[in-house]
Amino acid sequence: MQIIINGKNYDVDKNTTILKACRDNGIEIPTLCHDDRLSPSGACRLCLVEVEGWKNLHTSCTAMCKDNMVIHTHSDKVIKGRQEVLDLLISNHPLECLTCEKSGACKLQDYCYEYGITEGTYRWEMKKPYLDISNPFYNFDSRKCILCGLCVRVCDELQGTSAIGFENRGFETNVATPFNEGLINSTCVSCGNCVSVCPVGALEPKSKEKFRYWETKDVRTTCSYCGVGCQMDLVVKDNKVVDVKPAFDGLNEGLLCVKGKFSYNFLAHPDRLKKPMVKKDGVFVETSWEEAYDIIVDKMKYTKDNFGADSFAGLTSARCTNEENYLFQKMFRAVLGTNNVDHCARL
Amino acid sequence: MSTVKLTIDGKVAEVSSGLTVLQAARSIGIEIPALCYDESLEIFGACRMCIVEIEGSNKLQTSCSILVKNGMVVHTETDRIKKTRKDIVQMLLDSHPNDCLTCQKSGECLLQDYAYKYDATFRKHDGAMRPQLMDTSSPYILRDNSKCILCGKCVLTCYQVSDRQILSFSERGYDTKIVFGADQTIEESPCVSCNRCVAVCPVGALVDKRQIGKIRNWDGKSTVVMCKACEYGCEFEVHSKNKENLAVTAKEPSNGRPLCLKGRLATELKYLENPDTPYRKIGQKFEKTTWDKALGITELIEKMNRLEQKVKGEEE
Repeated sequence: MQIIINGKNYDVDKNTTILKACRDNGIEIPTLCHDDRLSPSGACRLCLVEVEGWKNLHTSCTAMCKDNMVIHTHSDKVIKGRQEVLDLLISNHPLECLTCEKSGACKLQDYCYEYGITEGTYRWEMKKPYLDISNPFYNFDSRKCILCGLCVRVCDELQGTSAIGFENRGFETNVATPFNEGLINSTCVSCGNCVSVCPVGALEPKSKEKFRYWETKDVRTTCSYCGVGCQMDLVVKDNKVVDVKPAFDGLNEGLLCVKGKFSYNFLAHPDRLKKPMVKKDGVFVETSWEEAYDIIVDKMKYTKDNFGADSFAGLTSARCTNEENYLFQKMFRAVLGTNNVDHCARL
Repeated sequence: MSTVKLTIDGKVAEVSSGLTVLQAARSIGIEIPALCYDESLEIFGACRMCIVEIEGSNKLQTSCSILVKNGMVVHTETDRIKKTRKDIVQMLLDSHPNDCLTCQKSGECLLQDYAYKYDATFRKHDGAMRPQLMDTSSPYILRDNSKCILCGKCVLTCYQVSDRQILSFSERGYDTKIVFGADQTIEESPCVSCNRCVAVCPVGALVDKRQIGKIRNWDGKSTVVMCKACEYGCEFEVHSKNKENLAVTAKEPSNGRPLCLKGRLATELKYLENPDTPYRKIGQKFEKTTWDKALGITELIEKMNRLEQKVKGEEE
């Protein structure tokens, strides 16, 4: 099919949304509620475009391309429409960017800057505040919620938990758990995928560290919790991990589980052992790896010579890589000569 | 120079006797917050954020202006200091617009950083606010009086270049404000748009007008480049997003580097895909100009054109 976007001709496949056609051709269209992995919902109305022959502005995330369609993505009418949408959103949003944890990674803040919306011009009722801090890993603040529905859809369509949904209608609409009993009493498994997709500060991890997103850098790594090998970006401030973001280009496609998303505080924990410990006169003292290996080898030899190979039992961890576990069992079977080897296989 | 030994937050520091407590603390990796301190500027003591407790003195003292002494015991983050700093930030915020949503400085604003650090937020009050005087006369600098915290850095940095010295304080007390020239607009004043003041402003009171609406601190990447217009080698930052260079801003002037408009425009032309139209101040008016005139290479280009035509003529 042939379509014309902003005066230029493009070839697109059948069954392509206007949004996808634009993005594939490097034309950026703002969206707050769109996610390629999820069903389109058309909730935020920010991806509006003008199509010649159509009376109204249409949401490009839900409208399909048709042959010879003439589309304008940044005409005056479109810009005005988007500004109006942002004005309505920010009119019902607390202006707390000064200290909001999301500041610097907030899409609403970025689009307001891009479209020059400095404050809301609709001055009446604000959303009823509802704060759910019952989950040990993240908080929900309804005041900042823009009802884009990403959290509800990711929980339902990708995580398959369906712990949260929309309640009420119209201005009273809220993201809530069944019977408003709080996240801790819902079926929520604390995977944090809703937190990862939230474009604003409504869903925020309970952070132990104070940090701003502009002080951090992302470091790509593979999650070490299990064998799936999810890709994630560690958010690092002053050489300390302060947050985790799932990677969208890995096999996990932007998803993580509760361990990958929230369990990183052990990394910089003061109790974490960084050097081998040896018991000397009844107390553990730090030692070098050379000394530790010498002790291990001596004791293994002594035990094998005096009590036989089957007096050993080896238990390794499912958090090691396949290669490490292979080497471990090889050492037990081939070097020590026993089949007493296993690993925890669960976390 | 002789050295002195002092204790800061339990750490022993041995530093030369001419240093201030703030400098000594920074030398051993203890960061003391400060809005008006800048190592290349005169000590001013205006913002009071750098207060510390010194044992033996019951008053909090500004660490930027007190010299180290042998045996001094300094505390930089006690509860009393934290509370006082929070109060200082709170008072500044009470007279500052709640504008981080779209403020150009958001993400590199010291007031924002300290408000977050010391848990101060904007609050509603019916007291006075700084008057909203916005100077939009210059195509290079936007001055927003309502965001000014009167740290004085802009005045001090402008004063360092003897043939500039445009900025100064005017009025007294709560009415104090920064003025260009004799309380003129930037356009009318003798300001040369070097952007030294913009580079040192810790808040959004003086911002680079050619960067507004294009890119903010957390968006994309910034690369430091050296200006090639003269031998001083002033530094500029090129801000880019999605591999496109969008804006150039001046870095803080240091080591006698003066910064100038010509250098800034030359850097823009060199790095930006779509640089904005250059302006020149003619008399007391900013006028749109062409790149050759802005960079002062009109004669050079004319000569080159003449030469080219001469060569062509000879060939024919």
